[in-house]
Amino acid sequence: MLIFTARRIAYTIPIMLGVSLVCFALVHISPGDPLVSILPPDASVELQEQLMAIYGFDRSYPEQFFRWLGRALQGDLGNSIATGRPVTSEVMNAVGNTLILAVTATIIGFTLGGLFGFVAGFFRDSWIDKLASTLAVVGVSVPHYWLGMVLVIIFSVELGWFPATGAGPGGSSQWAWDWEHMSHLVLPAVTMSVIPMGIVARTVRALVADILQQEFVTGLRAKGLLDRGVLAHVIKNAAPTALAVMGLQLGYLLGGSILIETVFSWPGTGFLLGQAIFQRDLPLLQGTILVLAMFFVILNLVVDVVQSALDPRLQRG
Amino acid sequence: MRTSLLRTTAAAALAATMTLAGPALAETTLTIGMTAADIPRTSGQPDQGFEGNRFTGIPMYDALTHWDLSSETDPSVVIPGLATEWVVNPEDPTRWTFTLREGVTFHDGSPFNAEAVVWNVEKVLNDAAPHFAPDQVGATTSRMPTLRSASVIDEYTVELVTSQPDAFLPLNMTMLFMASPTHWQALYDAVDASVTDPAERAAAAWTAFASDPSGTGPFMGDLLVPRERFEMVRNPNYWDPARTPTIDRVVLVPLPDANARTAALLSGQVDWIEAPAPDAIPRIVAEGNVIYSNPQPHVWPWQFSFTEDSPWLDRRVRHAANLCVNREELQVLLGGYMGIPQGTVNEGHPWWGNPGFEITYDPDAARALMAEAGFGPDNPLEVTVQTSASGSGQMQPVTMNEYVQQSLSDCFFDVTLDVIEWNTLFTNWRQGALSDGSRGADAINVSFATMDPFFAMVRFVSTQTFPPVSNNWGYFGNDEFDALIAEARTSFDGAERDAALARLHARVVEEAPFLWVANDVGPRAMSPAVGGVVQPKSWFIDIAPMTMAE
Amino acid sequence: MAVAQTDIETLATADKPRGYWSGVGRRFLKDKVAVAAGCVAGGLILMAIFAPWVAPQDPFDGTMIRRLSPIGTEGYPLGADELGRDMLSRLIYGARLSLFMGVTPVLIAFVIGSAIGIAAGYAGGWVNSITMRVLDVFYAFPSVLLAIAISGALGAGILNGLLSLTVVFIPPIARVAESVTTAVRKLEYIEAARASGASAFTIVRAHVLGNVLGPIFVYATSLISVSMILAAGLSFLGLGVSPPNPEWGLMLNTLRNAIYVQPWLAALPGVMIFLTSISFNMLSDGLRSAMDIKQ
Repeated sequence: MLIFTARRIAYTIPIMLGVSLVCFALVHISPGDPLVSILPPDASVELQEQLMAIYGFDRSYPEQFFRWLGRALQGDLGNSIATGRPVTSEVMNAVGNTLILAVTATIIGFTLGGLFGFVAGFFRDSWIDKLASTLAVVGVSVPHYWLGMVLVIIFSVELGWFPATGAGPGGSSQWAWDWEHMSHLVLPAVTMSVIPMGIVARTVRALVADILQQEFVTGLRAKGLLDRGVLAHVIKNAAPTALAVMGLQLGYLLGGSILIETVFSWPGTGFLLGQAIFQRDLPLLQGTILVLAMFFVILNLVVDVVQSALDPRLQRG
Repeated sequence: MRTSLLRTTAAAALAATMTLAGPALAETTLTIGMTAADIPRTSGQPDQGFEGNRFTGIPMYDALTHWDLSSETDPSVVIPGLATEWVVNPEDPTRWTFTLREGVTFHDGSPFNAEAVVWNVEKVLNDAAPHFAPDQVGATTSRMPTLRSASVIDEYTVELVTSQPDAFLPLNMTMLFMASPTHWQALYDAVDASVTDPAERAAAAWTAFASDPSGTGPFMGDLLVPRERFEMVRNPNYWDPARTPTIDRVVLVPLPDANARTAALLSGQVDWIEAPAPDAIPRIVAEGNVIYSNPQPHVWPWQFSFTEDSPWLDRRVRHAANLCVNREELQVLLGGYMGIPQGTVNEGHPWWGNPGFEITYDPDAARALMAEAGFGPDNPLEVTVQTSASGSGQMQPVTMNEYVQQSLSDCFFDVTLDVIEWNTLFTNWRQGALSDGSRGADAINVSFATMDPFFAMVRFVSTQTFPPVSNNWGYFGNDEFDALIAEARTSFDGAERDAALARLHARVVEEAPFLWVANDVGPRAMSPAVGGVVQPKSWFIDIAPMTMAE
Repeated sequence: MAVAQTDIETLATADKPRGYWSGVGRRFLKDKVAVAAGCVAGGLILMAIFAPWVAPQDPFDGTMIRRLSPIGTEGYPLGADELGRDMLSRLIYGARLSLFMGVTPVLIAFVIGSAIGIAAGYAGGWVNSITMRVLDVFYAFPSVLLAIAISGALGAGILNGLLSLTVVFIPPIARVAESVTTAVRKLEYIEAARASGASAFTIVRAHVLGNVLGPIFVYATSLISVSMILAAGLSFLGLGVSPPNPEWGLMLNTLRNAIYVQPWLAALPGVMIFLTSISFNMLSDGLRSAMDIKQ
């Protein structure tokens, strides 16, 4: 187990290096002036050169990359050009807000998806299966930013039940798990939960159907033991994979929150990413992408290790 | 405001009332939804364009000169701010003496004086100064292009030096906000000792200053949550009693999405939103909110090309175009949220000058002019205009250009629209009509602000501002205009300067290097609880005298 | 937006008997849902191709008088957009760019990704390892993040959007291609062909492609739905297609400002994206089960 974990971690390091290189390259292949957010449109060439030197954009790419990487390893992602604030704290604040949203969405998605999938797999080919399967397909096919808009139309514009935007009074700095704040969470979290719900439902349905086809389970069922024994067996065998899928989904939600956060003005990483893109704030853009990608890599690692701990057969390297 | 914060504060106040039996004081809070995607910089020189100056500049800081924001009907002109008077040196017109207001203190208690002014000039102009702030340069120096340095004469007198005689300096100085040197120094000294590089220490001090700002303005910074909200509280000791606020707390929330702003207003999350989507205005009004608007110093034009073979070289054609657009109908189509221009500035403005050509709707006269110039129904004049699909100040460019296109077809124009991306258009504007990017367009549609004479007129009609120096995209200019500009630049008496600018403006309108189509009216929507609102003819608005019902 | 893929590996482990494809066709036709989805998808494609003949109005022709006419206005059955242009015509024309933006990246990625994956899988050894580790780096980004990061860095525009989506889909397709090829390569008769000295190209062409392309294709069709949503999402953020071109994501973006006036009109473009995405998804599901790939 330890050897497996060590090997898995060792394998992750070059990936992380590659990821940071891609982040850096991505941002630097982009055309346009890196200082566009603070330079006036009629800036003189001298002013531009002066500021380029102050921000270090006049150095060679390899030098910029290694300086950035070196500082990143110490937790310093530089300062935002547009605001002058440290990127690390900006990104970490935003990650916190996105986590609130993504974790809530994952919990909703996993609970509903697991339930639908389980019922569908258990009563395969019944109407309930068809309904659950349809819901699952809808979940993975619906453009979630549009769903968000529709939910806003229904529940904010027409009914006025939930606020349409923001993270509640006081913003994220005063986040609390009270109704006043959670009412802001309802629409974005429900919107976000639809994809994991669909995927978890599909996975669980397949898993459950598979397990039920195993001979001894068929035997148990034939004996009329459609009871706790069978149920426990199914859950026990389906859980590791379902949990792994959920872990990965959390990663996708963290990285893919930009559309939903834009629709709901939720102050998370996606929102930050959008601002970095449109203000062409390179340090912020680089830092946000890097942190999100690293989260995803580490989450993958954790999911792998946990899964193999639950099911040692997977330790094949 | 329905915020938990307020509830707790109100509850605390109530508790205090019961124990101390003092007067019941519920805090009043005004929450504003801005269009900016982030809180504009709070350290003195805001970014985010004029919206930044509007919300984190003017409320928290003062400049040597101010815009008069107290009238809905009169033009907004420059008035004394932290300087009580200013005069140019008659021997050397590049030297100005500003007399400072006495007895003003910064929010941290330190005094405002000549040294503070010099310090604030150096923050953006002297890169050797310890507090030089490179990231504030961009938003500042282009707005005071001729300012070079400042020096102390005595405690309350300061001398400013420009690179050339420039009568526009007092207007420019409205954009240099005075931040507290003492407070900055304290924050600089408090920067962690592990940071040794002076430039890094200075940058860290400015970052700290942004969270804990200190100016002389009617509001004081209280809480900065980056990208989410900024809170200011009233400054009870403000030097101008007329602008000492009664609202206890002002909260700024960035809401770049027009829908999010509308939703926030309708649900009571904010009390005031900037630029509501025109489509949502009926709904906003139906729920009891109030829309404020007033023509802004802004022009939405077509700027003509005067290069060889341009169809606009004939003045009759330029006049015909100006006479052929039914601006009143366009106004109706835009839901009323558009002003009708009579030139770059309108009648009543000190720079108006009563031009000999009246911009109005007279299609018959337009057709007659076109016929004279040799065009007719079977022989239309083909013109191409370059525009964008969106952009700051562009209002609804595609809709409006399509309307103009349709109108001009009645006067024998055959208009082609070249719709390109906003940033590209903006770059082309600087590159000129002959650049590749302009793709042979005969006119360009970029809207502009007209508060300052250089930005309103000079840059479009001077031979010194041909591309790529500035925005004289169509290469319009001649000796007559250069002489008029020089006259205005060197008229240091305010009234004389305005008279010179009026002569310049009259000639601009007569020669018509533009098709003047619209003024933006800057609509904003507020809940009925906000009182004392004066929407001046300006990009700015004064929050200080407003009131807030509980 | 993860699409399960390990199941596909199992498919290629046995060589298919003759008549396999006719069996697939028969099974597919029995699946009513899949056939219906196929018809809808086909209909959308035809609609895109024949848009000029199908659309009742010019999609660019608007007037302020018709601005935001509600659904059911005479002559404008689905209303008119914020510039008074016929919604129905714009939705029909929108199919062109939207489908193009959704399908093209998957097609290109299918070609490039299959080539990379088959080459790596067939070559094996260190070539395989290096190729797959490089792909792993791209795989380490959530797809939405990667697509938005690339097109955000490059700026708005159709080409940049296509490029970013293609880059996103190459690694997963290459992975599937690689694992299927590796599985096929180990089959006895291919080992035999290699022993007999047949050239690598011949073996790939004669034995590998036939076994491998099917499953990769099915996998790729399942990506079309994801690609549609992402492509429209880019335009929705202002990173893809630019106005005044009709494209569903962009239309959704511009009409969002009207949700307080004509909410259901504003939601229409999303219905089209949803319809396309779900029909491709169901079509892909149908193909998958017809080809007996375990779900």
